[in-house]
Formats: sequence, structure tokens, C-alpha cells
Amino acid sequence: MSIIPIAARQAKPQPFARTLMPRDCGTGSCEVDVLASARHEAELDVEGFTRFALDQGWGDGLPLVPPTEARVRAFLAAHDRFPDEAICTLPPANAVLTVEKIAINAVMAGAPAGSLELLIAMALAIAEPDFELYGVNTTTAPVFPAFVANGPVRTRLGIPCGHGCFGGAASPAVAIGRAMRLIIRNVAGQVAGVTSQTTFGSPGRIAGVLVGEWEERSPWAPLAERRCGIAGDAVTSFGAMGTMNVLDTTSQAPSDFVEMIGRSLIYPATNCLSPAMAYGEVMVAINPVWAEILAPAFPDIADLQAALWREAALPGESLQARHREQLEAQGRIRADGRIYLTPEPKDILLFVCGGTGGLHATVLHSFGSCLAQTQPLAGPRA
Amino acid sequence: MAEGFVLDPTGAAGQDNASPGPDAGPLCGRHVGIRVDRIWRAWDWISAHWAAELRAAGARVSFWRSTDRSGAEGERQSRELEAWLATLDGAILGLANCGSCTGWTIRDAIAAANTGIPTIAIATRNFEVFAHELAARGGRSGLRLHVLPYPLNERARGEVEEIGRAHFAPMLAAWGASLTRQERAA
Repeated sequence: MSIIPIAARQAKPQPFARTLMPRDCGTGSCEVDVLASARHEAELDVEGFTRFALDQGWGDGLPLVPPTEARVRAFLAAHDRFPDEAICTLPPANAVLTVEKIAINAVMAGAPAGSLELLIAMALAIAEPDFELYGVNTTTAPVFPAFVANGPVRTRLGIPCGHGCFGGAASPAVAIGRAMRLIIRNVAGQVAGVTSQTTFGSPGRIAGVLVGEWEERSPWAPLAERRCGIAGDAVTSFGAMGTMNVLDTTSQAPSDFVEMIGRSLIYPATNCLSPAMAYGEVMVAINPVWAEILAPAFPDIADLQAALWREAALPGESLQARHREQLEAQGRIRADGRIYLTPEPKDILLFVCGGTGGLHATVLHSFGSCLAQTQPLAGPRA
Repeated sequence: MAEGFVLDPTGAAGQDNASPGPDAGPLCGRHVGIRVDRIWRAWDWISAHWAAELRAAGARVSFWRSTDRSGAEGERQSRELEAWLATLDGAILGLANCGSCTGWTIRDAIAAANTGIPTIAIATRNFEVFAHELAARGGRSGLRLHVLPYPLNERARGEVEEIGRAHFAPMLAAWGASLTRQERAA
């Protein structure tokens, strides 16, 4: 065997932003506007409904907003979508995710009405076969889909790009991320100990992770533009095993930072070095202060990826024999005797966000053969 | 407290086929496929022993190895699996010994069962209930499953091979395979 470079499926079309037609039925509802979901009688206060939802297996343990027809209709009314539109199929339940199911789960999570198109793009991004959602949802690993938003949607929905963007910043992104987690529970059918064998789980499985790229402070093009040429609203999904912090209080020159970040990316038990697969990806969030220091030395972000990649390697002999032998059998120990974190520099995905205090990078390692996917948001006709 | 109606947030499951599929029947002259993976050495050792037993009974045996299931490599794997299944008279698929690998074992086993060939998936004890759950969610709740002990991969090779020997006949029984007197003697 040998290292298999990561390449997208050949049949995969380039994502494009769909144009939505106005959906105005006048003052009454349209005939095709029927909400088809089963109705259940329940207490309509938050405490009573949350108990009911937990009994039904719909809840995550946090308080839930009762998804009454009025609330779901109000959510849908802000958009040009019919409720019966099928968006995608989500494993392992292989159930169809409709606009109506997105709206119901979003209402339960407390997500803002304007978030439907973002949630649809997030769902499409994890339903892509290359995201390998079947494995993500069933594995013993703690993996969860993390999302990076680009474009004006960040400001429209208040998705944080700065201090505490990965958690702690008060923002609607928490409820939007939670809505996606409820969709994964209630439609994809991911239930810990039943359809998911996750050994430990992760805090990211409660409200997810939804951050914005701080494009205005980034010296490079936005992530979605670099990945797919999407200049406007878009979201990138990434199967994250968690977040790992990189602290650097001593570096000064760009090369110092590259060495510190790059060497921190690799450790023997990272999923990228699992003998189960020949490849993996890693995502690195660079704070705006470091981005400013790095940019003069790396005006082309591909050169920064290459520099980090060269540092993110371990000597083959540093691993225990059994582990090394399996990687050797895959051809992962290269001619220089080193094992590189990813097949190629492009598999280190970089974007800019975080507070202006600097000092830290946040790293997300990928799971299995789950590959990051970027989807544009649909918008109204201009 | 005020009561009223709320909308159901769950997605509808697809139709279920509760049939275990056909029995494997006599194996002499049949082409049996064994699915292996890249993770579990113990499953390589057991499946190698079972292949030898099947060949001794007159079956032709081929292997297919599941590797990476995304990107261009995943696309190639999907085509390869489909082509391989089309050549088989029966399939043994393993190993359901972790979360995602149980997922893929069962998914591939459902694909095999849906072609109409006698199919059995192999799981270890800790993933037995999970494998049945995924088979049901995948629309084949009756999928045949044979269960090996857990832990398995952590054991020494000799011990694993002994388990393989001990489990060959029970696996055949679960698969609905029957050996002729001549095959048994071999």
C-alpha cells in the first residue's frame, strides 16, 4: 500500500448557490403548505414539554421550546421554502430531512427564524457522501460536525468570529448549532449507546460548533472562496474530534510560530495516524494577531500550509513497534523516515478567527475518512 | 399546565425487510466472498482460517478489503464492492468491532443481502446489539449475524485462531450453510 492523496469524488459537482423564488400565498396558507408531521398532545410550558420530549427520546437534556404549529409556521414564514421540500437523507436512520423537520427542530432549539437557509446548507454539507456521516454518527469516537461560516450571514445571524467564538460568546450560533444537533438526533437517528457507540462523547455533541471566519481581519481569502470559489454566504463542515489548544508566548518571527503550531499538530494517537485509514485532515484556527504576523512571510496561504505540513511530522522510530509496523505497511513512513500528519499540505485547512488577545491557536483533528465539505447558502433572486 | 399539540421532530424510517435472506445451503462449487478490513488483524487471522476450511469443503473463496470510504478512493471502493458482490454465491462480512466499522460492515452486508445472496455479518459481543440496531435502521432487521467474543483483537494470535476454529461450525449454522458428508470429512 501507499499513501492515498485526498481527492474529491469524480462525480461530485461543484456546489452552486440556489436562487429561491418568492413564496407568497397571500394571507391564507397554500394548499401545498400543510405541515405533515404527526401531532402529539403535550404540556406547552417549557418544563412540561422538556420532560415530555425526553420521554419521547427527542431531547438533549436542556430546556426545549414546544414546537407548536404556530411557532413552526412563524419560523417558515420568514423563508421562500415549502415545508415538504426534501433536503437530504441522513444516516444511520436514513430518514429524509425535510424543511418542515428542520423548522421543528430549530424551534425546539430556540434558533432564530432567519437561520433556515444556513441550517439547510449545514445539512447539505454533512449529507455529502465524502463527509462520511454514517461513520461520524456511529463511531466510538467523540467526533461531531463543526461548521465555519463565511459571508454576510455571519453578521445577519450574529455568528461569532472573535473572542470566545468556539464557545462562551453569547450568540444565536449556540441555538443554531443545537438545532443541527437535534436534527442529527431526531432525523439522522444518532442516539448514544443505541446507534452511536461513542465511548466518551463530546461537549460538541450538545450545541455543536458554529463559528464565523473573521474575514475582515484575515490577510487571506475566505475559507469557502479558497475551497470552492464561493465569494458570498457559505458554510464548511468539518468532522471534529474536539478542540485542541496551542499556546505560544515566546515566538516572535513567522518561522517560530510555524514551528510551534506545526509540531503541536501531530501526536501518536491522532486520528490522522490511525492505521484504519490512509488519510485525514486537520483544521487550524489562527487568531488575527498571529495572522498579521504570518501574512508578510506567507502572502500565499498555500505556502503557510506547506510550511506547517513540513513541521507536522514524527520520526517513524518514535512510535511503538506495533503501531509503526501498521503505518509502514500503508507506506506512510516516507523516504526521510518521517510520518506526516496529512497526505499533502492542502489537507491542513486554515482560517482566521478568535480574540485579539492572540497567544493561542485552536486545532480540530478530523475523524476517519470524513472530509470537509463546503456549501453555499441559497438566496432570493436579485 | 396548558396542554396543546406539538409537531413530531423525528424523521420517518424507511420500509423494513425482516427476512434473513436465503440459506447458504451446500457450499461445494460455490463462490464465497469474505469482506475484511484494514483495522482488525484478528479478523484477518480468523477469516484466513475460515477460507481454508471453506476451500477444503470445495468452495471457491475470494476476499475484498474495505479501506477508505470517502473521496475518489471511496468511489473506487463502491464500484469495486458492487462488482465483487455480483460474482458471489454467498458473503461473509466483518468485522463489526467498533462504531464506524460496525456501521460499514452492516452497510456492506445490507448491500450484499439486497443482491439476494446468502449473507452473514460477523460482530464481536460488545457490538452485537448495535449491529442489529443498524441493520434494522438500514431496512434489513432480519440480517444474519454471528457473534465472536470480545475483546478479540487484543488477544494473542494462537488464541484468536482457536476462537476461529471453534466458531466455524456455529457460523455455518447461522448462515444456513450445509456441508455434505464428503465436505465434512474434508
